[in-house]
Amino acid sequence: MSSIIEMPLVRLVAGFVIWSIGFVVLYAAQALGCAYGWGDWHRPALIAVYAAVLVPLTWMSLPGRNGGRCGALFAAALWANRSALLAALLVFMPVTFASLCS
Amino acid sequence: MSEQPSAIGLHKQLDAIWRTPPGLAGLSSVNHTILGKRFMMLALLFFAIGGLLSMLIRAQLATPNSAFLGPEIYNQVFTMHGTVMMFLFAIPMFEGFAIYMLPKLLGARDLAFPRLTAYGFWCYLFGGSILIIAMLMGVAPNGGWFMYTPLSSKPYTPGINADVWLLGITFVEISAVTAAVEIFVTILKMRAPGMALTRMPLFAWYMLVTAGMMIIGFPPLILGSILLEMERAFDLPFFDPTRGGDPLLWQHLFWLFGHPEVYIIFLPAAGALSTIIPVFAQRPILGYRAIIAAIVAMAFLSFGLWVHHMFTVGIPHLALAFFSAASALVAIPTAVQIFAWIGTLASGRPRWDIPMLYVAGFFVVFVIGGLTGVMLAMVPFNTQAHDSYFVVAHLHYVLVGGFVFPMLAAIYYWLPHISGRQSLYRLSIPAFWLILIGFNLTFFLMHLTGLMGMPRRISTYPSNWGWDWLNLLSSVGGFILTMGFALVLADMVLQFRFGARFRRDPWQAGTLEWATATPPPSYNLAAIPHIETRADQLQPARIGPALASGNGYLGFARNGEQETLAVDMMSGEAEQLIVLPRRSYLPLWTALATASFFLALLFKLYWLAPLGALATLVLFLFWPISLGSKSDRGPIDIGRDLAVPPDVEALNNVTVLANRTALVMNGTLFASLLFGGLFLLVVAPNWQGSNAPNLPLWTGALAMVASLSAAGAAAMAARRPGSVLPLRAGLVAAIALQSLALILLALSMGTLGDPTGHARQAMPFVTLGYAALHCGLGVIMAAHALWRHAQGYVSARRRTELVLARLWNGYAGGVVVLALGLGALLGLDGVAP
Repeated sequence: MSSIIEMPLVRLVAGFVIWSIGFVVLYAAQALGCAYGWGDWHRPALIAVYAAVLVPLTWMSLPGRNGGRCGALFAAALWANRSALLAALLVFMPVTFASLCS
Repeated sequence: MSEQPSAIGLHKQLDAIWRTPPGLAGLSSVNHTILGKRFMMLALLFFAIGGLLSMLIRAQLATPNSAFLGPEIYNQVFTMHGTVMMFLFAIPMFEGFAIYMLPKLLGARDLAFPRLTAYGFWCYLFGGSILIIAMLMGVAPNGGWFMYTPLSSKPYTPGINADVWLLGITFVEISAVTAAVEIFVTILKMRAPGMALTRMPLFAWYMLVTAGMMIIGFPPLILGSILLEMERAFDLPFFDPTRGGDPLLWQHLFWLFGHPEVYIIFLPAAGALSTIIPVFAQRPILGYRAIIAAIVAMAFLSFGLWVHHMFTVGIPHLALAFFSAASALVAIPTAVQIFAWIGTLASGRPRWDIPMLYVAGFFVVFVIGGLTGVMLAMVPFNTQAHDSYFVVAHLHYVLVGGFVFPMLAAIYYWLPHISGRQSLYRLSIPAFWLILIGFNLTFFLMHLTGLMGMPRRISTYPSNWGWDWLNLLSSVGGFILTMGFALVLADMVLQFRFGARFRRDPWQAGTLEWATATPPPSYNLAAIPHIETRADQLQPARIGPALASGNGYLGFARNGEQETLAVDMMSGEAEQLIVLPRRSYLPLWTALATASFFLALLFKLYWLAPLGALATLVLFLFWPISLGSKSDRGPIDIGRDLAVPPDVEALNNVTVLANRTALVMNGTLFASLLFGGLFLLVVAPNWQGSNAPNLPLWTGALAMVASLSAAGAAAMAARRPGSVLPLRAGLVAAIALQSLALILLALSMGTLGDPTGHARQAMPFVTLGYAALHCGLGVIMAAHALWRHAQGYVSARRRTELVLARLWNGYAGGVVVLALGLGALLGLDGVAP
């Protein structure tokens, strides 16, 4: 019972948790790729991670993702998840064009 | 409860249970009102010391070629100014404010762990005293408030100056991490019944997010301090590039804490603003839901921009772009809050009073600081302005604008709650103008000196570089600012002495703290209310007298026990009855034992330090002796025709939640350690050709199996609380297996190779040491559960100790696996030449 009720609190932070994981993985992959010389695979790998992060964030940001429930916390969670999507789009976008190791 | 006493009679009964006697008995106080005030008073004292140091800085820089302070003293003065203001003023000030305010705002009678509050206070006092005494002795830290290596490493700072910082600040940070756990748990579990999360006042939301940030943000700094102190004391080379370390690791660990820290300081102040502004706008806050989303966004984004302090150290463009974008983006959730506050004022019927003057000052100063922050987020500009006075100006606009101005508004708004008297006004208004004018004169001009090339931290400058008059005016502004603060202090003293008394709720506020009598009684509320609307739109003047008469939950005194309620985290339904521990000298003794540990390290009495740690541990084991119950009581009447079980008979009680939270904090520290190992492997120089750590497979594998089996045995014991034999067998097995894992890990540490020779040996040495320590903690938790079971405190219903043994042993098992994994990984050759 309690775990079901507590879901809104999880939803509130879920988008940014995914954003954080994406951030850590991309930053680590960027460093590892440079250190171990991933060469031509480096940028595609980063772009793949970028896309993988955007998929769940987009799904969580769609209208109706609050399960039809209203209330302050579900609305706040929806907007927090949309903010996370925007943050991921902008912050991670440089993987498509910025120089990787210099 | 046969006959309801009068309001005065009820007050006498409750006060007899909750009060702290005067005199030396005050040292045993665990009451949040008393400790909150002590925190704030001590923080203000440190603020005065930090302010005095800033006056010395401005006196030195007022004229070129000044010989007022020599370079060595100047280094100590500016380092201590930053250290005192950040660690001894800003953080403890908002902690004290939250400790004082949150239970009243939420409708609780105290925080979840009163003795932990007291322990935190003593750690703050003793740790801060170490720093101040060192300064008076002329051996204060002198490497800047962020203590960059290699300057703070042993070869370049051979005295104890850097040790004073590392050990003193770590000691003080104990108070921050204990406060974070307490605040987090109290907000989630100890609200008045009916106060669902969505009915919580925004200040509580801000503090919940702040506490969450502290839980994640402080461990990297604590880890960095431990590693640097180990390098300085025992020559383990984590930051020495000649032996496989890297000075940049310190910068990463420091700023992983340091940048979120700015938001950790700002968010409580923003919470105060979100409480004060609607009261003076005379309308509910605009955008309640948007503000919740914004503070969550801000909290996460603030962790993604620490490298903007390191833009000039030589980082690839892609990483620069990540951190630059995140740094600029964080302005958006900040702006959402600012627009919500402006919109609330614009759509309300604002009335002006002293707190609102400081709110207006906040808008002006903080927005300027935010805009220069966006400028500094841009890499090309940052490269130009790095380490110049432009950065000094920016950080003061953000921190003074984002914390000091809102805190002054909060002081004027809530001081009547503490003093029971209203402001006198005569000094308040000139004080505000002196502060606003003095601040802008001091710091706005620093933007210009910075753009003209003046580097921060120089002790003097020649007279022909065009900085003379700007520095002179900055110094004049600094002294005007100090006069303003002196007037505020005088105003506060006069308010306590001459301010007019008032009845409840002088500002016509809508939050619950104003429903208490003022000054507040020791138990806060004689009865706990049932909340049926959003808790920033209440009528304290109406409900206060009803609560004082005992109309509500727990509106009686029972068995001489300090009773309060726990609720469901989301819905706010009453769930458990908490009996809080009474006043005790144990927190003071425990803090003194902790102080002996830190002082032994500081004075290099390394034989004494383990004794201090052992004394601390033993004293902590005395804490639970007076807690718990030897029989199942079942649901207990809490008034309003409701009965709930005591918290010791519930699984989701505050103790379990606090331990889960502490493990998350602990896990963050361990994750930072793993990051450090991987960072050195990938980035640090001089790894190729170095000797790989010698980690015997059999000891590692056996330690892993033993620790994981111990975790399984503890989990089995927790699942069978009603069966004596399996329970005791499980706990004994956990103790034996975890002890075996500890011994094997200690053996492995001995075989790694010389940990002072290279970071490649030092990093697994420390990681395995951390794992061994947690195996030891697993043993202690299992033994504690066994002992409590033998004493009769554990039953099928009362199984908190078993859950804690399971949690800590499970954590130890996970740590052993990851620590051994890192050890194996560091066997690989490094990359950088």
